[in-house]
Amino acid sequence: MGRRYGVGGPWVLRGVDLVLPSHRLIRVEGTNGTGKSTLLRLLAGIDSPTEGRVTGRPGRTAYVPERFPVALPFTAAGYLTHLGRIHGLRGARAAARADEWLERFGAARYARTALSELSKGTSQKVAVAQALLAGPELLVLDEAWTGLDSAARTQLDLAVAERVAAGGTVVFVDHDPRRLAGAADDVYALAGNALVRDTGVNSPAGQGPRVRIVAVGPPGAAPPEPLPGGPTYERGPAGGTVQLTVAAAHSDALLRALLAARPPWHIHEVSLEPATTGQAAS
Amino acid sequence: MTALFRYHAAMLLRSQRWLPPLLLYGIFLAVGVQGGEPVLDSLGVAAAALLPVTAWLVRICVTQEPDAARAVTAAASGMPQAHLAALLAASGCAGAFGVAGTVIVTAVSERRSADGLVDVAPLSAGAAGLLVALVCLLTGAAVGALCSRPLLRGRGWSLASTALLALLALVTTGSPAKAAVSGLVTGSRTGVIHTLGLPLAAAVLVAAVVVGAVCVLGTRRG
Repeated sequence: MGRRYGVGGPWVLRGVDLVLPSHRLIRVEGTNGTGKSTLLRLLAGIDSPTEGRVTGRPGRTAYVPERFPVALPFTAAGYLTHLGRIHGLRGARAAARADEWLERFGAARYARTALSELSKGTSQKVAVAQALLAGPELLVLDEAWTGLDSAARTQLDLAVAERVAAGGTVVFVDHDPRRLAGAADDVYALAGNALVRDTGVNSPAGQGPRVRIVAVGPPGAAPPEPLPGGPTYERGPAGGTVQLTVAAAHSDALLRALLAARPPWHIHEVSLEPATTGQAAS
Repeated sequence: MTALFRYHAAMLLRSQRWLPPLLLYGIFLAVGVQGGEPVLDSLGVAAAALLPVTAWLVRICVTQEPDAARAVTAAASGMPQAHLAALLAASGCAGAFGVAGTVIVTAVSERRSADGLVDVAPLSAGAAGLLVALVCLLTGAAVGALCSRPLLRGRGWSLASTALLALLALVTTGSPAKAAVSGLVTGSRTGVIHTLGLPLAAAVLVAAVVVGAVCVLGTRRG
């Protein structure tokens, strides 16, 4: 697909061909002005392509803009309840989810504050909460981390991993190359007006802290498939154990999947493996 | 769609941006309708006043959502649906104005024909007034939808064209609003309430075509 603004304007994007499978975390890179935001808006259905088509977008799609300084006549909780209903939640559930997500991002005490009186960071938390409260199948994040405090950033990282583990697709852009480092399944780069697939080896997003989990399952059983984050398997230190290594962002989802498996797995040990560096040089 | 409509309606109500159009409608009624005048004449004035008021409300509803919030809503529901909900919220508000205005005008007017010879039943007069108000509402909504985003973005152009087109819709022969209002006023001379099927059908058609086109274009032009 392609997109340009105005009839004779230059092409912002041209010949973009992208498939977004479920269970995937996809990072889009590119310098300023290469059309990252335009691509994300096309994916989220806010904009439509000048040529080509976007097909098969799931019913529950959510988008988080980079800035959300919104002057709307609602309280934070009121706005989120409305958005929850628009995302398809029923009345009482929408309100309950709104409170839940505000609390998760540490903004519960602003629930009854008017949106126009919120700080930039808290507005951004509302924008993020709105996207997550209905469990979207496609989540599009345009530098959604900008303006969040570090605790909220961590929560957003976790929420993203949860969405992916639950079968969703998450597409994100972030100026910080270490954002969700090592967790992205696919990395694409925008250059000129074209989208190219990045192998990820040279990109900082391909590296990052990993978590090692030693677990033991029922005798002879293989780990349940598919596991979130696509961990690597090794024989564990003790007999019968399996050592799984996964990007830190996916570790919670992976643990949850192991513990929730039928029959459940037992977790022996969880440890952080330091970030690998220098791979690109070899 | 219900959730989107509630969102837009709540935004309009809580922002109190509906107040200036209501004042305009009140001024039109206060100037154009005198107590004790023939009911059908007064209802014609009230319905005609609703046209620019509806166009203004539509403009308010489609521009009141900041861009960031609009992007979020559009992603959640689809751009055409989000735009349609804004148009429906504006029409709902205009409808409430129209019903209130029609009831008040019917109550304070003389229930007779213009020459004072024929009695006009208040219920059938009120019903005819509501139908003509509906025709004007639909035409006004079409005018407002045509003259605001996504088709016209500049504030000045948008306001000027809304005012001009609303006026034209009231005075041009062939406009459903003009036909409906003059049908009511002509009927007032002899105390006969004309049937309004044709203007109503035309107004429904115009509004449907315009709203459909605008909502689809809304996604095209973001």
